[in-house]
Amino acid sequence: MLNHLPSVALAEHPATTPEMQQAIEQYLYCEAQLLDNREFDQWFELLADDLHYYMPTRYNRTKRAAGQEFSSPHEAALFDEDKQSMSTRIRRLHTGMAWAEEPASRTRHMISNVQVHPTANSNEIEVDCCFMLYRSRLERDVDIFVGARRDLLRQADNELGWQIVKRAVALDQTTVLASNLSIFF
Amino acid sequence: MNNPATGTEFQPFSPDSPISNEQLASLVNSEQGKISPLIYQDEAIYQLELERLFGRSWLFLAHETQIPDTGDFFSTYMGEDPILVVRQADGSVAAFLNQCRHRGMKLCRADSGNAKAFTCSYHGWSYDIGGNLAQVPFEERAYGKVDPAEWSPTKVPRIEHYKGLIFGCFDKQVPDLETYLGDMKWYIDLFLDRAEGGTEVVGGMHKWVIPCNWKFAAEQFASDMYHAPVSHASPLIASMPPDMDLSQVGWPEEGRQFSAPEGHGTGFFFDTPEFLFPMLGEEAANYYVNTSAGEAIERLGDMRGRRMNGAHMTIFPTLSFLPGINTLRVWHPRGPNEVEVWAWTLVDKKAPDSVKDAYRKAVLRTFSSGGMLEQDDGENWTQIQKGLRGHQARNTTFNVQMGLGNDTHDFPDLPGKTNYVYGEMAARGLYNRWLEMMTAKDWSELTIPTGDEESGHA
Repeated sequence: MLNHLPSVALAEHPATTPEMQQAIEQYLYCEAQLLDNREFDQWFELLADDLHYYMPTRYNRTKRAAGQEFSSPHEAALFDEDKQSMSTRIRRLHTGMAWAEEPASRTRHMISNVQVHPTANSNEIEVDCCFMLYRSRLERDVDIFVGARRDLLRQADNELGWQIVKRAVALDQTTVLASNLSIFF
Repeated sequence: MNNPATGTEFQPFSPDSPISNEQLASLVNSEQGKISPLIYQDEAIYQLELERLFGRSWLFLAHETQIPDTGDFFSTYMGEDPILVVRQADGSVAAFLNQCRHRGMKLCRADSGNAKAFTCSYHGWSYDIGGNLAQVPFEERAYGKVDPAEWSPTKVPRIEHYKGLIFGCFDKQVPDLETYLGDMKWYIDLFLDRAEGGTEVVGGMHKWVIPCNWKFAAEQFASDMYHAPVSHASPLIASMPPDMDLSQVGWPEEGRQFSAPEGHGTGFFFDTPEFLFPMLGEEAANYYVNTSAGEAIERLGDMRGRRMNGAHMTIFPTLSFLPGINTLRVWHPRGPNEVEVWAWTLVDKKAPDSVKDAYRKAVLRTFSSGGMLEQDDGENWTQIQKGLRGHQARNTTFNVQMGLGNDTHDFPDLPGKTNYVYGEMAARGLYNRWLEMMTAKDWSELTIPTGDEESGHA
């Protein structure tokens, strides 16, 4: 599903346990709920200090050039953030003058197809999922973003037990059919 | 009007324009700074724009570094016409309609790549990379002969280059590109010619859709420094240390705006390099303000190399830059109510890789669909456009009067007509040129006299 996004999952890994699968799914749902409730400061607490939050750009390519469907690491990206830049983005939302979010969007993050993969680090796991992000704004503006996500989660001493170390988002649009990406994925 | 590019014998369905030149002239009063909102919203005006304005202007096609090798192609648009831009074996660039001449199928549906030929996926007509018909399946038995001279895709008849940028024009009569740019050349060099070797694009690009008329975007980048303190307050506040607030940061007040009779415009502050640091981050800003400044001053002089900061600019009609922040974008029109933004990041070719990467990140975090400044621009234009659905709302008058009467040709070290940085002279210039393009019979009525003492070249 996500063979274009970098992976650190073990090539041959044991099947995850039902308990782990359930715990991770619950984590993802709780995290999505924080975003949908606009609890951005609490969400920010889930981000690791060495965070990489990334959304490459995407292109229509012929089969011959299929390897170039996504931008490479040093090319244009839709998001290429560290914890500092995410902090600035969230501070901006708190100013009351971030006009694209004032009044705020109503978002709903739907998470599905969750696959949990062990990595070489026993305290880190790689999680693939699909998402549908619905955004309603103002009187009747609607955007729907669909794509796949690959997260690297690390066990952490926080309320939800895990933090986000990496998030790579593959958006299923080449031309972004929205006037902005003022929301988090 | 015959199609000047194809010389086709077919007459357009409606040969007479449904809108007279007098009606068009009534919508734009650049002397008094009054604009009718109808120019942003009316479908018939939009169709005329595609024909008379986009069909006769020099339009940006691609940056040289996007298509370095033979057969490299980039799929773009001129107005709403799909165009293939292709590097030829002799190093030149060809551009032609991305449309098979047999039944009109799009020849290439990839955004970019490398091709040896373009073969239509409908019936298999095949064209070489110069856009010449090369093969027709079953040609001899089915047709006898299909003449490539007659049945190749419509070529973009005029292609010219300026410092890394490739432009095309569908009107053979258009003056050469440098004449078209006029005094604006002097200003865009502060973006394109700061360093030996010129610029290159960071790989990849941003494309997104804003439901607004293309002129709101083109005008803002030509003429509107005025919106920045209000529209873009939030990223500035968010980038400040937590113990500071807006009252401690004054927006710059010294600067000028330039307007070209060809419709181009720019505005900039003087001596405010400190504003680039919160916007771009330390590495990219330090490169622009310090590391590369010596060479820039040597090449361009003190005014362009050091003193002009925070510039916004538009090359008429739809190519815009922010030098220093280094975004380049085209506002592709998609009907009167929508624009598709195609944006690139440009960097000095000779800049260190770490600076190029710092610029890549700085631009995506400020001026892209997710950029912290760009988001607010889209919000303004989108909500204006929605309002224009109302009959009363689109029959008001917009005020474009800031700085009326204050134009001068005598500002030291700046060529052409300038005015105060917070002004709308360049907007009036853009709409005046819009009206000229929309009403002129052909380019003989559009040529700007050159060499008069008023142009004031430095």
